[in-house]
Amino acid sequence: MTSAQARKYLPLVIRLAVIAIFLAIWDLVVRLGWIDPLFLATPLDTLEHLVPLTEHAASDIGITLTAFLSAFLAGVLFALAIGFAIGLSNYSRKMLLPLLALGVTIPKVTLLPLFILWFGIAQTPVIVFGALSGFFPMVINVLTAGGEVKPNQVLIAKAMGFGPLQIFRKVTLPAMLPVLVSGLFYACNASMMGVFIVELALARHGLGAVVHDLAVTFQTADMYAAVLLTASITVAINMALWYAAQYFGRWRN
Amino acid sequence: MRKLSPVLARVTLVVVLLALWEILTRLSSVSAILIVAPTTILWQMVQILVRTSNVPDFYTNAWLTIVEILIAFGFAAVVGVLTGMAVASSKAIGDAFEPILLVLYAIPKIILYPVIVLMIGTGPATKIVFGVFVGIFVIIFNTAAGLRQVEPDYRRLAHSLGYRGAKIFFKVELPAAAQTILAGLRLGFGYTIIGVLTGELLLVNAGLGYVIDWASVNYYTAQLYALIVITLAIGVVANYVVGLLERRWVR
Repeated sequence: MTSAQARKYLPLVIRLAVIAIFLAIWDLVVRLGWIDPLFLATPLDTLEHLVPLTEHAASDIGITLTAFLSAFLAGVLFALAIGFAIGLSNYSRKMLLPLLALGVTIPKVTLLPLFILWFGIAQTPVIVFGALSGFFPMVINVLTAGGEVKPNQVLIAKAMGFGPLQIFRKVTLPAMLPVLVSGLFYACNASMMGVFIVELALARHGLGAVVHDLAVTFQTADMYAAVLLTASITVAINMALWYAAQYFGRWRN
Repeated sequence: MRKLSPVLARVTLVVVLLALWEILTRLSSVSAILIVAPTTILWQMVQILVRTSNVPDFYTNAWLTIVEILIAFGFAAVVGVLTGMAVASSKAIGDAFEPILLVLYAIPKIILYPVIVLMIGTGPATKIVFGVFVGIFVIIFNTAAGLRQVEPDYRRLAHSLGYRGAKIFFKVELPAAAQTILAGLRLGFGYTIIGVLTGELLLVNAGLGYVIDWASVNYYTAQLYALIVITLAIGVVANYVVGLLERRWVR
């Protein structure tokens, strides 16, 4: 192997080695009895339980995905509507942006008891809280995206005789798209957080409830399998959006 | 007619909304268990702060939460910045770890929460560890990104001026990356607060999470609203102070 090749594969080798060491330590601390198997299952045990657990939790996966999709879509659509409405005037933007930014930074989880008080313990608080969590990062990105549109380009397009719809399609949208897509990434992550927090807190339906029940009944291997399953689903969705954001970011330049 | 300045318009909007909330709650017949008026909340906040309210051990619990947040952030800041430095130290290590960190970043941390509870228990350590988990990644990313953005020319210039190794790092690279690193620390602080409070609201056995839950299960709605406003205010003030510090250090 030439040194150039070696340099190319070195990161991959380091990465695999780190993952292998992590799995080995995880396995050994349980096998050697340093951590009670009641609290930690070995990687192999976790993997063995993955398929049966997935079958067992099929309906809850459906419930969680439905709640997440409803929350994410509601939050994003609401953010697009409000964001575009506010973004129409520079004045309303300056006036409302700090308030909306506050919505991102405040720990909204504190409002959880109020959501349960208002919306009960069925799926409504899950969806409302997930939607609210996704709304704020998205609306900030919509307003930021509006700033990406160069007034000069709009002016030139107007001078070239483009109609409003054409200007939107050819000038405004392409300028805004990268920031909008990265907004989707943050909104998606926040929405998922929101949905899981309420599912865990209510412990009634969905993957959050499954994980909660398995944890409190010490079905340890099943619980780790459930966490692995949930992580895989969320990482798959998030990574797809991450690469979409990267793609649109490059596409602009 | 002259337009109001945006700041004044914002304040006016908030005041009008609060006034509407007050009037509608007073006029309508919505149960006081669901919604209480802003003035009731304010009065209750005063009572909690001067300890004439029935909220149990408010200051002890609030203090616990604040200490948890500070410990979690201290840990996230130190470990996060050091990890970021390690990731930026060589291209091979950076390329090796970036995908791993990205996947960890893409996991909504909340699903690791039951794992932490199972392994560490239900004490303050669980909330601290969870706060670290939620806050640390943005600190790692910003530290690594900041150090990588440093112009290679700076390094070459420092080298030709006779600077070596650690001196280049502390005198040239770190100051050049400071702005991005500090932004990461500010964001990380906000996330750490969210992480610790999430732990508190799910465990509800100590801290502000406990008193909020106490008010909620006993249907002391005025106390519930007041405690939530106080908790949010702590978060807002903390974020504001850290933002001020950041601006000061960047200059």
